[in-house]
Amino acid sequence: MNDVIIHTSNLAKRYQRYRKREGIRNSIASLWKRDYEEKIAVDHIDLTVKKGELIGLIGPNGAGKTTLIKMLTGIIAPTEGSIDVMGYYPNDMKNEFKKQYAVVMGQKSQLFFELTVNDTLRLFKEIYEIPEKDFQKNKQYFVELFGVRDLMDVQVRTLSLGERMKMELIVSLIHNPKILFLDEPTIGLDAVASKQIRKFLMEINEKNGTTIILTSHYMEDIKALCERSIVINHGVKIYDGATDKLFDRFQKNKRITVTFDDPTEDMALQTENVSILENEAHKKIYQVPKQLVKELLAELMKYEPKDIVVEEEEIGVVVERIYREGGKFHG
Amino acid sequence: MKNCMRKNICVLRELFYLRFHALMVFRLDFLAPFFVDGSMFFIQLLAFGAVYSHVDAIGNWGRGEMIIYIGTFSLINALNMTIYFFGVNTIPQKVRSGELDLYLSKPISPLFRLTFENISPGSVPLIIMSIGIIGYGIRTLHQTLSVTGVIGYLFWVLIMTILYYEMEVIIRSASLYIVSMARLEQLEEACIDLCMKLPGIAFYGEYKIIFYLVLPYGIMATLPVQRIIGKMNAGTAAYGIGVVVLFSILTAVVWKQGLKHYHSASS
Repeated sequence: MNDVIIHTSNLAKRYQRYRKREGIRNSIASLWKRDYEEKIAVDHIDLTVKKGELIGLIGPNGAGKTTLIKMLTGIIAPTEGSIDVMGYYPNDMKNEFKKQYAVVMGQKSQLFFELTVNDTLRLFKEIYEIPEKDFQKNKQYFVELFGVRDLMDVQVRTLSLGERMKMELIVSLIHNPKILFLDEPTIGLDAVASKQIRKFLMEINEKNGTTIILTSHYMEDIKALCERSIVINHGVKIYDGATDKLFDRFQKNKRITVTFDDPTEDMALQTENVSILENEAHKKIYQVPKQLVKELLAELMKYEPKDIVVEEEEIGVVVERIYREGGKFHG
Repeated sequence: MKNCMRKNICVLRELFYLRFHALMVFRLDFLAPFFVDGSMFFIQLLAFGAVYSHVDAIGNWGRGEMIIYIGTFSLINALNMTIYFFGVNTIPQKVRSGELDLYLSKPISPLFRLTFENISPGSVPLIIMSIGIIGYGIRTLHQTLSVTGVIGYLFWVLIMTILYYEMEVIIRSASLYIVSMARLEQLEEACIDLCMKLPGIAFYGEYKIIFYLVLPYGIMATLPVQRIIGKMNAGTAAYGIGVVVLFSILTAVVWKQGLKHYHSASS
């Protein structure tokens, strides 16, 4: 039990939102009387996280992932339930608590755009009260790890998105947090940059023992990093368990995009259970059960394609399937 | 407490350093406020000149007192612009965009950081010009200054600058409770505009309640002037300090409760 770093019970967050009816009459009427509806962002979630875990929070847009992270970091207060992060109630916003975690939001930057990363780091050194010796040691470590020595003295606004995300991670990790919350850290990044970020996160988790909670839309992030996944949909936790099991059971199909130099019509494919999602002369997209990918690829190669891309099913499809088939499934 | 003070001083030093560096990246951004703020100041002076060229006295204040009053209000406003206005003014936008999340998740008071992260060195000349006007007023009035008189005056300028700050924070904290608050800022502008031209002694009845208590812009420059011209009694001093204390408590409550209401814009 001592290993538990985060514990929530029946954690819920509800908002009221104004429902505006169409038309000028209703707008005038709304000056006196308004219709509010309750939006349940997080619906009674029980969660236990142990020290050193690397957990993926999966779910479609509006599922409640970010709201959950905001409650765990104390940015917003829960409506109901209990929450304990490292022995603190996060929304008390105690500085001793805030010194022990870091949060990186993919779409909100904590860097000063007109200045250099070194400038932001100096401010963070003071905010987190890091002794000079530790500060230099940590900085050196992360600069080497991320391979960004040449970028520390250039204006942040001149960095690429991938470089900027590395810098976001450095400034977040400079105080050696026990927990790192990452909200869509690879959003908008290309495949190479995403892969690099994943590698660094893995290293930080393994070497420093940092507990990492990661939300992502990208299956690749979750599969590559997280042994444990939590799937949330409409604020409800619908899966909490091993990532492998989740994908083995619910990610049933792959998506294959094939392009041709010459127009290619009538392809009489023999592979069973293949459905065609897009059918153009130069490009076709298929959905095929995972176990039949090899067979279909062999068949497609006979038509001398220009390129073939094999992709995982989108996260929304998987979540929908868990919801439909599994109800609340625990791996 | 001592550690907290030391930390705040260190953070303050870094914020000043970062702000200066950020401003100096774009030379025009750094230099323009010196001209823009200076021009606005002269426009204000012309307006005052036009208003008061045909008025010999307001209440029991003559021309000399009025010049000191105008200089004092300008001084408080200049201190506001130099130190905290451009930081506090970003609160509503940071609430609406959800950028406040990044302030709330750091181990330092978010209000402290917001207050001091956008100091404006371009407004420093306004402080100097305001002091010049006050000096001119004192000469016009043939007022002899004592050391205690000057210290007393500076004390009142300081606490009225704090009151000005508190009013700004309270008004901008409304964005934590309600989505749209542009009208409140307009109300603030209108009150400041009026009280810059009319000293508190000109208000009577319900206007006095409004500008001495509800929206205490009426006392901000009036009390320091009363102190320097030797017309402040103990009751007025106690009242002034009471208002500042009351608004300090109110600011803390409104801000802290506001943070509890903060929903954080969706990512």
